[in-house]
Amino acid sequence: MSYETPEVDGYSPISVLVSAVVGIAVALLSVWWASGFGPFYETLFRVSPTVEGGGVGSDWVAGNTIPSLDFLIALVHAADVIMGVFILFMVFLHWASFRRLAARMRHPEESESGEA
Amino acid sequence: MTNLDHGKFTRVTTLFHSLLALDVFLLFFTGYAIMFNSELWWMVTLMGGATGVTALHRAAGLGLVALIVFWMVLMVISPTGRSNFREILPRKADVDAFLQDVQFMLGRTDERHPHARQFAGYESDEVPLLSYVGKGVVFIFAVELLLLTISGLLIWSKTGLMQYFATRTAAMAFVIFHGLLGVIMVMGVMFHIFEHGMHPAFYPVETKAFIPRSMIPESHGEDDDHEGTGIEALELAPSWHSVSTIFGSLVVVGIVSVLMGSIVREGYPVPRELVVSGDVTNLLLTIGINIGMFVLFVGIVLSMYGNVMRVRWEKEMQQRQREGETVADGGEPQTDD
Repeated sequence: MSYETPEVDGYSPISVLVSAVVGIAVALLSVWWASGFGPFYETLFRVSPTVEGGGVGSDWVAGNTIPSLDFLIALVHAADVIMGVFILFMVFLHWASFRRLAARMRHPEESESGEA
Repeated sequence: MTNLDHGKFTRVTTLFHSLLALDVFLLFFTGYAIMFNSELWWMVTLMGGATGVTALHRAAGLGLVALIVFWMVLMVISPTGRSNFREILPRKADVDAFLQDVQFMLGRTDERHPHARQFAGYESDEVPLLSYVGKGVVFIFAVELLLLTISGLLIWSKTGLMQYFATRTAAMAFVIFHGLLGVIMVMGVMFHIFEHGMHPAFYPVETKAFIPRSMIPESHGEDDDHEGTGIEALELAPSWHSVSTIFGSLVVVGIVSVLMGSIVREGYPVPRELVVSGDVTNLLLTIGINIGMFVLFVGIVLSMYGNVMRVRWEKEMQQRQREGETVADGGEPQTDD
């Protein structure tokens, strides 16, 4: 084997520079935008009409009153479980495959005992 | 012959992979210390309490936005990026590779499909840029990172978030939604660490994610007469059996515990439903989730080790190229001219 390295079409320095500058700029702008959410304090922590009588802290009692958000959480729970089971299957699949491959390789104890 | 077993990607890609890994690990450690604060109380304390841990999470979040936008722009504006996009699209061969992997696991076939092979050896020319698992990782992580970034930015300003939701509980529920989104990725990363750390031919880490393709010497037409990948010629590391068994068990416990934890401890201030959990389940969950964090820690150590290997490799290559040395198999010294 020689030590000749291949000619690889990499990324041009200008592409890398432009991408890095855009990446950093978008990161800073997005955080600047997110930090600047001006709360409208009139609507913040208003006594929730879903709790009878209302009062201080009743917005905690009301719980999650947004059905779509509740659905999204249930959906992500389901996705987590389905993907979790699949990922576990993939772990076992690779574990078993690795053991088969390892069995084909030369074992250090074999070569040691062969010499002795 | 090209030798894609040791280096496959460009220098920019390998560097990006290492930076993304560091950033994502920091996001996992801080984010799940918050989400599983009962189980990972010591991590919250270690990272400066609630203030410190959220500040670190935000700093890493800023880094993540910069990294993913960098990558998306690079993929669009560079010819290499655009041509690689075709390489990562799923094909029928990827489905075949998955099915053949199941057959291989069950002992019904003797070889893994080229689209599944991590070690290709003499048959390197048959393997694609990414295996079917690699493609899955790219697609799942891309979707997860995008959703996590968008939801994370919405959470950035807590008072800002609250005005979009009817109640504080609903605002907290959105934070829970953000945490649950990352569970697939944290489980996937544990598998990713096992897959690329415990392959017997590469144990303890596959270098192809760290050593760029441009640094891998290639030979021409010398290995065409070999049958199979040639894995039989490699010697198994003495510690592989015990370490892979222990680490595989830890990965399984970690994945199961994080999954259980995400269901049991969803962390609503007002629980959606009563959860039955006693001292024993709490104890098991605490141990299991901490094991999961240990698996991630091993991942960060292996990523560092991969980079140490790259530096060593680079020095060795420079030295050998300077000396114009040949290897024992009788290769001739060659120059770039």
